[in-house]
Amino acid sequence: MKSNNFIERSIVGGLTFLKDSIFAEEVAQRGGFLQSLDVRVKIISFLLFILQALFTGSIPALLFLYALCLFLGLISRIELVFFLKRTWFFIPLFSLGIAFPAIFGPGEPLLSWQILGAKFSITHQGLQGAVVFVIRVITCVSFVVLLNITTRHFDLLKVLRIFKIPAIFIMILGMCYRYIYLFAGIIQNTYLAIKSRVGRGVQYQQGQGMVAWNIASLWDRSVGLNEEVYKAMLSRGYQGEALAWNDFKIRTKDWLWLFAVILLWIILFLN
Amino acid sequence: MVICGNTIMDNIIFELKDVYFSYLGKFPALCGIDIRINQGQKVSIIGANGTGKSTFLQILDGLIFADRGVLSFCGQQLNEEIFNDAKFSREFRSKVGFIFQNSDVQLFCPTVKEDIVFGPLQLGLAKGQIQKRLEKLIATLNIEELLDRSPQQLSIGEKRKVAIASTLIIDPQILILDEPTAGLDPLTTRNIIDLLIAENNSGKTIITATHDLHIVEEISDIVYVFGRGKSIVKSGLANNILNDPALLKENNLVHIHSHQHQDKVHVHPHVHLEHHV
Repeated sequence: MKSNNFIERSIVGGLTFLKDSIFAEEVAQRGGFLQSLDVRVKIISFLLFILQALFTGSIPALLFLYALCLFLGLISRIELVFFLKRTWFFIPLFSLGIAFPAIFGPGEPLLSWQILGAKFSITHQGLQGAVVFVIRVITCVSFVVLLNITTRHFDLLKVLRIFKIPAIFIMILGMCYRYIYLFAGIIQNTYLAIKSRVGRGVQYQQGQGMVAWNIASLWDRSVGLNEEVYKAMLSRGYQGEALAWNDFKIRTKDWLWLFAVILLWIILFLN
Repeated sequence: MVICGNTIMDNIIFELKDVYFSYLGKFPALCGIDIRINQGQKVSIIGANGTGKSTFLQILDGLIFADRGVLSFCGQQLNEEIFNDAKFSREFRSKVGFIFQNSDVQLFCPTVKEDIVFGPLQLGLAKGQIQKRLEKLIATLNIEELLDRSPQQLSIGEKRKVAIASTLIIDPQILILDEPTAGLDPLTTRNIIDLLIAENNSGKTIITATHDLHIVEEISDIVYVFGRGKSIVKSGLANNILNDPALLKENNLVHIHSHQHQDKVHVHPHVHLEHHV
């Protein structure tokens, strides 16, 4: 099978993305500042930062929040280049594209020129609006990414309970998280099994057939697994209402951090 | 240790009379099974693949129900209706623990710790009691470093240990195990066998399905051989069963093995009985 085959590229690329984005918890296991905070406190404080970024129109306040986010990343043992790559990828660049036309909006002209008789002006108000928009997006995205990479995903799931989401939904989400990895492994192995037996390039149509067969086979396996998992739950006493273990603990450090965040929030809000 | 609450019928825990089961009503999996299992016994079910061992264990654990015949637990007939009674269901699940062949099925939570405490939480045990049992199990099975990991990050042997822990934490009086040593290395197999023997010495009943003959003698007071007809072809003491090569060969539990000694080819029935000592 050729290395540039579309099936190989799709499967390998998809699985690599899945493993990198969903299962990479290496950063979350480092002993940095954010990793040491109680997850509930961390989520509340990050929500406050994001709300602040959404409601403020002040460029200095937004720049301060963005700088704070980068600082928090640094004291949480995150490499700056890695973090910037993650946060500036796609969404902020996309928002830059959206914001670009706004700099030509109505207002006091800063810079004007003519092309084929048409007059173009970059306006003060337009430029400010575009800058606020882009910094707001990058700040919010940075906080979300920072929360995501410094927190183990199952902890994030468990915290959903504080928003009164029923335990059964959280449990199902947890199971999805657990078994996506298992199925990713099955897809990878199935693909390798096909690759080991096909000694020539796969035609486009034949490749489509293989992918379709794989999807059907995976569906069949997931149905079988679903029945077995349910039996395993029953056998350990499950009676339709899932009860979950909660071992979150808020310490003095968490209270101090929350107090500092609220104080900062009030100062920024009043200014 | 009394499981059934009295000493009726010579401590019989499970009794199956002429039990039949089929999948989708047309694929027979068990045909006319008669078995009695006493409290504190070590029972092994041996047989080749597809002889109904796993189905039999699932029937014992009340996960599926017989098409025909009677299954009693402590003199009480088990059927779907009785498991609708929450009190009975909780009592039964507290007494009977099942360890699945595929640990990926049993470990469905995002972390090892959540998987282990799942059972006692559902059964209504107090958090302090669960914590105590967890600490004891961590020490016994040496799994402390696995607790915060996700099951997908574990090796097969580690998964099996965690699956066993997730059942033992319930402290069931009866342990049902489906192929507990399949795919494991010799040391992990040895550890599991030692654990089962210790549990039996503490009074627990151990019911194991396996086709791994080298573990049978140690974990069995009585052995039932399941055949291709999805029924019991013979039962008896482990020693008697394992020393009946014709029976084992007939039921695909040994194979003809040929190997070369210098220039001579040597052929004999091959069975692994003396490994893992």
